[in-house]
Amino acid sequence: MSRLEAKKPSLCKSEPLTSEKVRATLCVLKGILTSSYGPSGRLKQVHNGLGGCVCTTSQSSALLSNLPVTHPILKILTTSTKNHVSCFSDCGLFTAILCCNLIENVQRTGLTPTTVIKLNQHLLRLCTNYLKSESCGCRIPVDFSSPQTLLCLVRSIVTSKPACMLTREETDHISALVLKAFLLTIPENTKDRLILGKSIIVPLKGHRVLDSTVFPGILIEVSEVQLMKILPIKKSNAFKVALFCASLSGDLSDTGEGTMVVSSGVSLENAVLEQLLNLGRQLVSDHVDLVMCQKVLHPSLKQFLSMHQVIAIDRVGVALMEPLSKVTGTQPIGSLGSISPSSYGSVKDLCPAKFGFKHFLHLIPNEATICSLLLCNRNDTAWDELKLTCQTALHVLQLTIKEPCVLLGGGCTETHLAAYIRHKTCNEPESILRDDGCTQTELQLLTEAFCRALESVAGSLEHDGGEVLTDMKYGHCWSSQAESPSVVNWPDWLSRCGCGLCNSQEELHWSFLKATQHPIAPQTCLPHEATGSSNNLTLDCFTAKLSGLQVAVETANLILDLSYVIEDKN
Amino acid sequence: MVVACVSSHLRRTGDGAKTFIILLCHLLRGLHTVIDKEQDSLISKNIQTHRRHWKNCCQWKFISQALLTFQTQILDYIMDHYLSKHFLTIFSSSTEERTLCRSSLELLLEAYFCGRVGRNNHYFISQLMCNYFFKCMACESGFEEVFDLVDDYFVELNVGVTGLPVSDSRIIAGLVLHRDFSVYCPADGDIRIVIVTETIQPLFSASASEFILNSEAQFQTSQFWIMEKTKAIVKHLQSQNVKLLLSSVKQPDLVTYYAGLNGISVVECLSPEEVSLIQRVMGLSPFILPQASSQYEICNTASVKFCKPLTLRSKRYVHLGLISTCSFVPHCIVLCGPVQGLVEQHEGALHGAFKMLRQLFKDLDLSYMIQTSDQNHTSSPLTYKDSRESNPLPEIVNGLIQRPYQGTVVKNKGNLAKTQTYLKVYSNLVVPSVELETCIPCSTPKVTPTDTYQTNETLRCLAPTKTRTIDDNEPFIESNSANSTAENTGIEISSENLQVTKIAGKGNMLPVREKSLEMCTSQSYCCSTLPAGCVLPVGGNFEILLHYYLLNYTRKCQQSEESVVSMIIANALLGIPQVLYKSKKGKYSFPQIYIRTLHALQTSQPIVSSQKGLESVAGKYQLLTSVLQCLTKILTIDLVINIRRQPREMYDQDSDEEV
Repeated sequence: MSRLEAKKPSLCKSEPLTSEKVRATLCVLKGILTSSYGPSGRLKQVHNGLGGCVCTTSQSSALLSNLPVTHPILKILTTSTKNHVSCFSDCGLFTAILCCNLIENVQRTGLTPTTVIKLNQHLLRLCTNYLKSESCGCRIPVDFSSPQTLLCLVRSIVTSKPACMLTREETDHISALVLKAFLLTIPENTKDRLILGKSIIVPLKGHRVLDSTVFPGILIEVSEVQLMKILPIKKSNAFKVALFCASLSGDLSDTGEGTMVVSSGVSLENAVLEQLLNLGRQLVSDHVDLVMCQKVLHPSLKQFLSMHQVIAIDRVGVALMEPLSKVTGTQPIGSLGSISPSSYGSVKDLCPAKFGFKHFLHLIPNEATICSLLLCNRNDTAWDELKLTCQTALHVLQLTIKEPCVLLGGGCTETHLAAYIRHKTCNEPESILRDDGCTQTELQLLTEAFCRALESVAGSLEHDGGEVLTDMKYGHCWSSQAESPSVVNWPDWLSRCGCGLCNSQEELHWSFLKATQHPIAPQTCLPHEATGSSNNLTLDCFTAKLSGLQVAVETANLILDLSYVIEDKN
Repeated sequence: MVVACVSSHLRRTGDGAKTFIILLCHLLRGLHTVIDKEQDSLISKNIQTHRRHWKNCCQWKFISQALLTFQTQILDYIMDHYLSKHFLTIFSSSTEERTLCRSSLELLLEAYFCGRVGRNNHYFISQLMCNYFFKCMACESGFEEVFDLVDDYFVELNVGVTGLPVSDSRIIAGLVLHRDFSVYCPADGDIRIVIVTETIQPLFSASASEFILNSEAQFQTSQFWIMEKTKAIVKHLQSQNVKLLLSSVKQPDLVTYYAGLNGISVVECLSPEEVSLIQRVMGLSPFILPQASSQYEICNTASVKFCKPLTLRSKRYVHLGLISTCSFVPHCIVLCGPVQGLVEQHEGALHGAFKMLRQLFKDLDLSYMIQTSDQNHTSSPLTYKDSRESNPLPEIVNGLIQRPYQGTVVKNKGNLAKTQTYLKVYSNLVVPSVELETCIPCSTPKVTPTDTYQTNETLRCLAPTKTRTIDDNEPFIESNSANSTAENTGIEISSENLQVTKIAGKGNMLPVREKSLEMCTSQSYCCSTLPAGCVLPVGGNFEILLHYYLLNYTRKCQQSEESVVSMIIANALLGIPQVLYKSKKGKYSFPQIYIRTLHALQTSQPIVSSQKGLESVAGKYQLLTSVLQCLTKILTIDLVINIRRQPREMYDQDSDEEV
């Protein structure tokens, strides 16, 4: 008899946000997230007390998937961030921190949820419209003729992940590699639609980061014994390739629902093997040089092929099938019978390669959009972090191709946007208040909460005790070194703003970010080629940040709208 | 049980779960107070000996039956007669060709989503839904089909994407299948598709058959044959210009290989719902593989506009531009949201909205008893009662005596309390007098007003006409004396029929002959329809209106159980606007609104609503009937037996009730 456990009644809590416990946990989560944010963010070590692997990270995706979150409200926040990250790879921490800030700030205002949600939506619309408009002062168009902007974008992403443990030189190297890998995936001649290829990341742990390289084509890992058998590879102009998706192990295929009766003395194995060898004969007579199979090759067939100087590689795995068929131009063969000649493909060259202790067979294509990024790092955790970073960077580059512009990084977008919103709501409140029945005071209160939330995201980039300031002309974000005297000549203490676009030697006025901000109309600061400022900018992905902003505000609205939490405790 | 009732109601109409509970609570509360009050008055001496609980049960049952009668008759009557004049329609013109008015639909949807989707995006979602609906509709007249289809295949017609802001949700033309291509070959021009439900590759043996292998060569030949056969079929498909193969099963590698070679894209493992949706939209039936000959014609193909992969959040889908053969133009909703739960909530809300609209655009059949009474054909029940009270009765009976058996006397055979709406009309001409005689004993207990529900029930079964028929047989004086005692119950009996008066419509099933018998109460089954698309402004308008008319109605028929029930319902209805306006103050507080509406009704001015939204009348009506049905179910239960399983033994735990 199975044990019956008494059903626990569901738990129902009203006004979950007002509870002190929830506020405290929210505050802790915010603390974890803000302290990891940015290039100087602190690392988090996530581990289980019982042992097992340790994860050292500062990335939202790794952090949030490992954090045990129990309260439903926090769950909404973390899941929403995780979903955002799985879509855009970037700006996860930004989204989560902004959401926390918004919730906190709005609660402090004490406005009713209805008003808050309405106004938040208005402010969000202001933001998105501004960011999408041509006049936006924190957006830079991407110039594809020079790699500078894209390189800056990649470097900003790599530097913002301190857990990769890269030196300056290594950072530059990795950024250049990632950009190169990305450029290799762009087809040379495109018709109507641009179909990007794929960069395959090949792991090589325990080596110097500077050993990382990128190759066009595919690296297939093979054992040393296997490689010895293949060698030496005869030279030719092109290698004919056959790629099988069907199993060539000699097992019987699906025989239907009925029964099959085999008379004694009839060996099906022989019959199937005979068939496989026939196939081998056809491959040889078709002058195929390389046979690859997703599944298993029968040993006899393998031997037969190697006798005829055909290289046979099996157990390629389903993940490599699509890139392989792209690189070689083959069509995966699903038949053991006659093979149509059009299914064969070719590679330009085939050469063995050895990196560290691993042996690879390198397939060099004639022209394809697949490349392999051989990624090295000293230890497992750092490698994992580096891999995530490279994937993020590659994804961000893909997103940037779709929407060819970038946003200023280093907190400048946030402060600039906050300044713009303040200015807008102060000077033209009618456009917002027109149809909503909210008062001007309510609008001002909420605008302040909203802008503060944005500004404190920018402020959380600073971790070393320095002051965060904003200038009164462009609305950019500046951060000073720690222990600067209270009254100073700011231009001497500050050199460049967060994104690196503005120079402190211009006639600027600053104010502390924490102090009360006066509405200013932020101007656009254009990159000057002459000063060389455009070479070393900190940039953010436009699409990811825009969506992150929207998701953060929407999630905050959703959480603020909750008046009951009903939990099933069973 | 309540939850089960609510969810079944919700499944059908997609609306009103909260109102359901509120209304039910108010009804139960109302009943309690009434019962408490009536306790003393109802208990007569002979009943006092009964157990208290038992009596209570009887009472509950009695009330539940009264409720049912109310539901089947009074409600429909009121709806048809009084409320219908307040209804607005969602169609922009009241002429024969009905055109949907977009702005009213928007108002309706906005009001609907108000309670279902967070304030954050309810406006956005209702706009999305509205756009979707208008995009899907091919012609003005076909919207009913659209609703049916969308409701049935809602899951297949939307794609949820998490991680994007809600505002990225959009509508895309065509159908999105929730899977990727197995083989994709870009194709242009005339793309024909076929659906298969089995593997194209022939197998060695079908189910329940044996395949005997005698030699290795035989095995190889049969494999070769299979291969050739598959090749031939795929080649043939290609020759018919088929570019896409949709399969509900997984096809072997061989098939996908040959399909790829011949430029045919393959999508495998479609769900049965997806297949049937495609079949319904395109009028395409699955392609059946020929068994023997290789010479065959594929007639089951259809064209699609395009067929391409669609990537949503790094997941690939198949995007088909179906060409519709029915009035539904296929479109899909891509619903985005930061978290899965929110996407699901929006999906549920949209589905509910389609259910609600589906109900809204169906004609609502109202059916109730019609009782043509008096010479005057008075439409008001009040008049009828008055005529009795002001003593025209002897005359009537006199008239009857003068023409004994002349007309048809209608007998109500069906048990009204059992929702039996069919009423068989019997002509009394064929009924022998013996039968009438046998009825007389029945009438004896009837006359005692102190009796419990059973007698009342009997009374109800044997409609008043019978009593009167009996009267015909007796001397007039006698009947009159009996009548005086029967009066009290009689009124009650009639009251349930009273509300039903003449109705414009086709449903008058009485033969013309009966018209001559104007004196007699005759009943007939009547139906009328509430035209599709009736709406009322939100904010408890329906409830206040119904409340008002019910009160009016009860005022006209005092003393009866029916009026008590109507009263309870009317008051309970008022609870809903009370809840709605709870948070409002000043001009928009509940009493203010209530008084204003009542005033407007009394002076027959148009009612001004403070809110913009609209709601479906059909939905409200169904909600009310569902609640009443649920209530009757609850009331007829006298005892809850709690079965608790324990480790050692199982026993039924009874309450202290002897059954």
